[in-house]
Amino acid sequence: MRSVLSLYSLDRPALQGFAKELREGLLADDRERLANLLELKGALAERLGETPRVIDWFLRPESNPEAAPLFSSLRRVAKKRALELQWTSPVPSLEGRLRQYDLLREDESLAKRIDKLLSASRLPWFLVRPGATCGWLDGAGRAELASGLRQVRAALPEELSAFAEALGDMDGDAVAHDAL
Amino acid sequence: MGFFDKAKRLFGLSGSGDEESAREEESGGEARAPGGREPREEDPRLLAAERAGKLDPRRRDRRPPLVEAAPQGPGVEDALALREAGNKGAALAMLREIDKGGGLRTVLRAAAAMEAGESEEVERLLPVIAKEEPRYKLLLQVAGALGDAKAARGYIERAEGEKAPAWALGWAKATSEDAETVREGLVEMVFADHALARTVAARDLHMEGVEADADAGARYAAFVHGRESIRRFGARQVAALLDEARKVGGA
Repeated sequence: MRSVLSLYSLDRPALQGFAKELREGLLADDRERLANLLELKGALAERLGETPRVIDWFLRPESNPEAAPLFSSLRRVAKKRALELQWTSPVPSLEGRLRQYDLLREDESLAKRIDKLLSASRLPWFLVRPGATCGWLDGAGRAELASGLRQVRAALPEELSAFAEALGDMDGDAVAHDAL
Repeated sequence: MGFFDKAKRLFGLSGSGDEESAREEESGGEARAPGGREPREEDPRLLAAERAGKLDPRRRDRRPPLVEAAPQGPGVEDALALREAGNKGAALAMLREIDKGGGLRTVLRAAAAMEAGESEEVERLLPVIAKEEPRYKLLLQVAGALGDAKAARGYIERAEGEKAPAWALGWAKATSEDAETVREGLVEMVFADHALARTVAARDLHMEGVEADADAGARYAAFVHGRESIRRFGARQVAALLDEARKVGGA
């Protein structure tokens, strides 16, 4: 089954706070604190103590069956703390339309903002899942993209039109993700 | 500072930043990722089309024509091989021949000239080395090549003073001999450039269960080539050269 894109509103201070706590815990190698932060219990909490350093777990690939649940917990808690689901596209074709629809590609400003919203390099490492499409736009960038899309809305296919409306209905920063 | 650095700063992942400057960059600046890697979003239209196997023919037309690679002449590797075979004079001659007026070749040429007592040649080259950009890079390559935490510390501190990016400082720390410094370096790298952190952990630290990330391969190789060349040449000689370069305005 192909994945579908969702839009989340981002509480940036909350995400910054989470990143700070995570970094401090990893620097101190404080396993108990990190287990609490990631809401790990039982065997998973104990797993943090099985490597020379906790950070070692997050250097392993997510395909590693022992590391996978730790990455999942990290994303789940980060999402709970800082993201709120606003909209999910009902169709898997949205990403392709965003990346390739001629009308959008010909407008440099629109294309640039769309590409940023779909660029995983712009999100913290702990929100990025291998192979997933994700990215972020700050409030002004989101508003500009929504406004630009609104201006050409009459010429957009249905899935892009719905995306434009959802983006315009949001406030502040936006995160797009198809695997969160 | 690259665009992705700015984005990460906005999330509090690497130092402090302000939204306005990030927005300025959003509106036009060249996107570059930490460590000088090529931005993955440089031309997403091409990337997306390539991924889908549907490269737009109009885009294809705009690509520059392929050129045949020029025959390769001698390089740093050849000079280092001569040196390792005990032929330091021939190695210096080759380094003079391949020197393009800057970069690693000039650094090794100057270090070889210094070793050979060619003081006039060294004096001529020192200002070039002093102006090498980015200024932190050579310091961290020497620090890594020294393989001695105590000797390396001063070069890492000088690199910090030259505003070395978090990934580069993290890398230098991650290859330290001190366990706490290694941990600090790994954490800094993970937050600055997760793919590069995995690659360093796999290739430099040989950590169990960790795999190099193909996405960071080029960035890794670019930095490691210099470090390994310096190590092969003799890190202490190059370190002494950097100390001399500092006297004429170097980092």
